[in-house]
Amino acid sequence: MIISSSKPFEEILENLDDSGKIFVLGCGVCATKLHVGGEPEVEAMCRKLRDAGKEVIGGGIAKAACSFKSRESLLENGPAIEKADTIIVMSCGSGLSVVSSLVDVPVHPATNTDSLGGYSEGHVRQDLCAMCGSCIADSFGGVCPTARCPKGLMNGPCGGAMEGKCEVDPDRECAWELIYLRLKEIGRLDLLERIFEPKEY
Amino acid sequence: MSLKTNVTYYPAMPSAFKEKLLSDDFVITSEISPPKGVDVSSAFEEAGLIKDYVDAFNVTDNQRAVMRMSPLAMGHLLKEQGLDVIMQFTCRDRNRLALQSDLLGAYAMGMENVCIMSGDYPTKGDNPGAKPVYDLDSVQLLGAMNRLEEGYDIAGNPLESSPSFTKGAVCNTEPDQPLQLMKLEKKAHMGIDFFQTQAVYDIGHFETFMDSISHMDVPVLAGLIPLKSAHMARFMNEKIPGIRVGDELIARMESSTDPAEEGLLICAEQIRELRKVCRGIHLMPIGHYSHITALFEMAGLHEKN
Repeated sequence: MIISSSKPFEEILENLDDSGKIFVLGCGVCATKLHVGGEPEVEAMCRKLRDAGKEVIGGGIAKAACSFKSRESLLENGPAIEKADTIIVMSCGSGLSVVSSLVDVPVHPATNTDSLGGYSEGHVRQDLCAMCGSCIADSFGGVCPTARCPKGLMNGPCGGAMEGKCEVDPDRECAWELIYLRLKEIGRLDLLERIFEPKEY
Repeated sequence: MSLKTNVTYYPAMPSAFKEKLLSDDFVITSEISPPKGVDVSSAFEEAGLIKDYVDAFNVTDNQRAVMRMSPLAMGHLLKEQGLDVIMQFTCRDRNRLALQSDLLGAYAMGMENVCIMSGDYPTKGDNPGAKPVYDLDSVQLLGAMNRLEEGYDIAGNPLESSPSFTKGAVCNTEPDQPLQLMKLEKKAHMGIDFFQTQAVYDIGHFETFMDSISHMDVPVLAGLIPLKSAHMARFMNEKIPGIRVGDELIARMESSTDPAEEGLLICAEQIRELRKVCRGIHLMPIGHYSHITALFEMAGLHEKN
């Protein structure tokens, strides 16, 4: 899923000088699961904007903001969009871009899109995949170094980890440590010997 | 009138440094940092203080991710002073186009010795917002250098003329770190002429490390940072990956009335021990250059002719 997080409200407001009539559109998929663009968040956003003196003409939830057939299908989600002078989208950047392509008014994000991660056992997991277009995560026990090592090193760790923690952030596990533990667990440490050629970007 | 200009091109002469590696001499390299500015005089001064003892100077590449003058420029200027140079190249700041073109440039200016490394992440340095590159990792960069030597760039396009590098890389010396050893093996497999290590303080530990890589037959230059205080030792233990200063050494530093002198003494003892187990040393003096001559003499290393 696409991991996004709420922008500070002040930053959202900064984009709304002369905004006119505002419509707030949430997203029923990732942003709902992450509690950054579901129904309660859209309602709260409408309320906060009104409290800040803005004219909000409606809010709604798209089934998936990143997937609209046409302008008509967008309007079905919230007919008031047609009368809006500004749309605020509470979804990932993909959702915002699709909505923007269907309307002729300014569209502003209420969230930051952070990574392609996952959500399990109640925790958001960041940076699981870098969407590189050539998946070889199986060679690393399912722990993708392109996504999970900040340096994207494919042939082993840098010398910067300390006690299994990443050089970049001591709260973060070294991806290569995780790769090692996982490969050991599944009895495939032999995979570590393979030399990977540079990626094609 | 000819459009041809006279250029100084240094054809593939055997590197003086490589010859030293292949000789029986104990090899000594030292680090020189380019300035954070345009005046190279203090770097020249530091190099001048110890040049008679040192076989080649590693010119650091924005080390610790702190922005400094290009090692290519600094290396060239040191070369003009008659010093042998090992160009450091990190994978942090350049994509494969820039890495390859700088490598060709370095070689054309007579700097065939190259030591490559991943490079500290930008957030560790003084331009923390920099976009990190890491287009190639160090194993892949060694592969790219092989390609250049074979007359092709990394994409397979032919070169008009090709270099012949003396290739080095860095390593930690923890024998109980399988991933570090695995990566070291990969680097050796790609073809390498020397390793320079992170600072060594526990000689017994280092011997175990050397035993664990004895099948590779690659010259190893053991890293050395003379201690200046017990505080510095504790700081490195806590903050610098791959460095481990034992309690015994910290106690020695603490009980000494002249810790800087004690640090040099310890370092000299270590050099004497290291002469028995590896091809040479790589000194990282960290601003301590004026004391290094004394250190070498204490360790029984004398001026090279």
